[in-house]
Amino acid sequence: MPVWVGRVWVVPAAFLVAFLVVPLLALAQRTWSSTALLRLLDGQTWQIAALATVQALISTALALAVGLPIANVVSRYRFPGRALTQALATVPFVLPTVVVALAMRSLLGASLGQGFAVVVLAHAYVNLAVVVRIVGARWAQHDARYEATARTLGASPWRAFTTVTLPMLRGSILSAAAVVFVFCFTSLGIVLILGDSSTRTLESRILRQASLLLDFPGAAATAVVQLLVVSAVLGLGAYAARTAPAERLQPASLRRLPRSRKGRVAVIGTAIATIAIVLVPIAALLRAAFVDNGSLTLAFWRAMSTIDAGTTRIGSPLDAVGTSLAYALLTAAIAGLVGGMAAIAALAPRVGWVVGAIAIAPLGISAATLGLGTVLAYGRPPIDVRATGMLVPLAHALVAVPLVVAVAAPALRAADSRLVLVAQTLGATRSRAFWTAYGPILRVVMIAAAGLAGAVSLGEFGAASFLARADNPTVPLLIVRLLARPGALSYGVAAGLAVVLVALTLLLVLAVDRLGRTARVELAAT
Amino acid sequence: MSDVRLRTRALTVGYDRPLFPSFDLDVAAGEIVAILGASGTGKSTLLNTIAGITPPLSGTASIDGVDVTHAPIQQRRCGLVFQEPLLFPHLDVLDNVSYGLRRHGATKDASHIQARALLSWVGLAGYEHRSVQQLSGGQAQRVALARALAPEPAVMLLDEPFSALDVELRQRLVLEVGAVLRERGCAALYVTHDPIEAETIADRVLRISA
Repeated sequence: MPVWVGRVWVVPAAFLVAFLVVPLLALAQRTWSSTALLRLLDGQTWQIAALATVQALISTALALAVGLPIANVVSRYRFPGRALTQALATVPFVLPTVVVALAMRSLLGASLGQGFAVVVLAHAYVNLAVVVRIVGARWAQHDARYEATARTLGASPWRAFTTVTLPMLRGSILSAAAVVFVFCFTSLGIVLILGDSSTRTLESRILRQASLLLDFPGAAATAVVQLLVVSAVLGLGAYAARTAPAERLQPASLRRLPRSRKGRVAVIGTAIATIAIVLVPIAALLRAAFVDNGSLTLAFWRAMSTIDAGTTRIGSPLDAVGTSLAYALLTAAIAGLVGGMAAIAALAPRVGWVVGAIAIAPLGISAATLGLGTVLAYGRPPIDVRATGMLVPLAHALVAVPLVVAVAAPALRAADSRLVLVAQTLGATRSRAFWTAYGPILRVVMIAAAGLAGAVSLGEFGAASFLARADNPTVPLLIVRLLARPGALSYGVAAGLAVVLVALTLLLVLAVDRLGRTARVELAAT
Repeated sequence: MSDVRLRTRALTVGYDRPLFPSFDLDVAAGEIVAILGASGTGKSTLLNTIAGITPPLSGTASIDGVDVTHAPIQQRRCGLVFQEPLLFPHLDVLDNVSYGLRRHGATKDASHIQARALLSWVGLAGYEHRSVQQLSGGQAQRVALARALAPEPAVMLLDEPFSALDVELRQRLVLEVGAVLRERGCAALYVTHDPIEAETIADRVLRISA
């Protein structure tokens, strides 16, 4: 390896120190006084933590109850439309949370109104993909002969499932549950749009304390409480995964549909239900954007350029789309660069695994906590980066870097490092040999990773709600502002903007997928 | 024959088409029939069909005079041992062997007493509370055998149970298991691709070719 591979960690490390450690220290500094420390014991904070825990537990249980049958079907059986069903099951997770919230409100607002039930449903919807991906990956490698053995020993199908399958999938189920719990516990966009006093989260309390009450020490104390809970849950999830029973895994392969009619109906029925579960809320969103009083209309789309004119200026929708796209591009560039360097540094002998582990640290910290810390560190004199408009893409990049590393590092590690030696024996310098071996793969994965970082930026709400300038909101922020205003026009324009966000996000993800495929084909041809 | 425990009539097995022509087979109590054939000829599918994991394309199977062709797996009284022991990793050795007894209604204490006796019988007394990950290949396969025998199956189906073990251990276990199966009065089908192993353990050898 060239010497610089062992040193390239300096760039991501500096980025993490500047935009993760310094903001967290700024938060800690606010908390670390006798009065602020007392705020950690604030009864209301813990009351909200308890409420959010109940909400997150029920949301997680629902996501598991719906996600496990889907994981079983899409990861184990071969049937027409399986790939489509699997891709669709991932869609809710890719969609921005404010879009999901608005879709759910359009679908269920009339019957359920706002509050606990609809928040739980929206959380379960978003997190289906987490369950399907994490548990499905493990289930696909599970040897079905364990259940066959249990059945020959006298267990009914249900008994075999509860006494053999579930315990053997325990590690992956608990890992997924921990991640889902954290997402629901720290939810912001969904609880702001769909919630009421019964669904407050610490994240929404941080936003309220910092933005409305200007109580920064209180917000910092709430953020610390949230960080403690999140760290504990993620730690428990990791422990559960590590201590899960080690079964004999087999290569993932798809099996035939069951021969029995009942079995076939169960598999195909689950697939159809999955497609309906994913698409019905999106259809409701489209309806809200194109239908008014039962007839098709483009009035909401025409109002995109005029809705800002009124007594309360909220920002122009078209400007917000431009701002979001610019931030997405900047985020893709910054996260691609920093994450790419972290992934390269992870190749270095001895220190590589440390770099890889540290680079995913921002995953454990909520977006609002990051946003608040960044405001405290860089949003006010003497260092006021807010005016430059760079704080949002920097914070988004921080949120996206773990994703870039998660995509790029395994691909680079899987490359054949002996190519470096082969190139060197043919006369290449160390650096040249490195690029010969890793360059083509790096190009492919960086396109994909940067695209995903852009998609994250398009939908991100928590950090942007702290960092975006009031006169220059992103699309998710503007959607929330529009929903806070009364009137069918505001709602319709918000739905229209949500449709734009869905289209942009899906376009980006599909483009990344296509570019990645093309690049992989070229790579295979060389 | 009154002591026939497994009987098949015009049985054809396979997924979309029969893997080999239909056949009739009677296996008596304490009798071991070796199924010999090359890879891919359908030996394992035959066992899976008799166990109820894969439905037959046609024909019938009965166990102790009861037609089980369409019976659920758990009601067939078949014990199944694969090439890999497939012990439940979340249970210790004792609970693995007790599993079938518990499913047949035994209390925890009663199932443990029987499981201890079986473990002692297969030479693994003292291993009750070991994690299954701590067992050697031969020990794990003995536990799998004890687990399959615990609910007193009428038919034992053994799918190349020792092919992953070294030759010396395999030869010893083949003789031991043959004795155990005869003593328990099971009708046994023993799948192997090794003619010597088939001749060593079986009373009859059935050759399958595609």
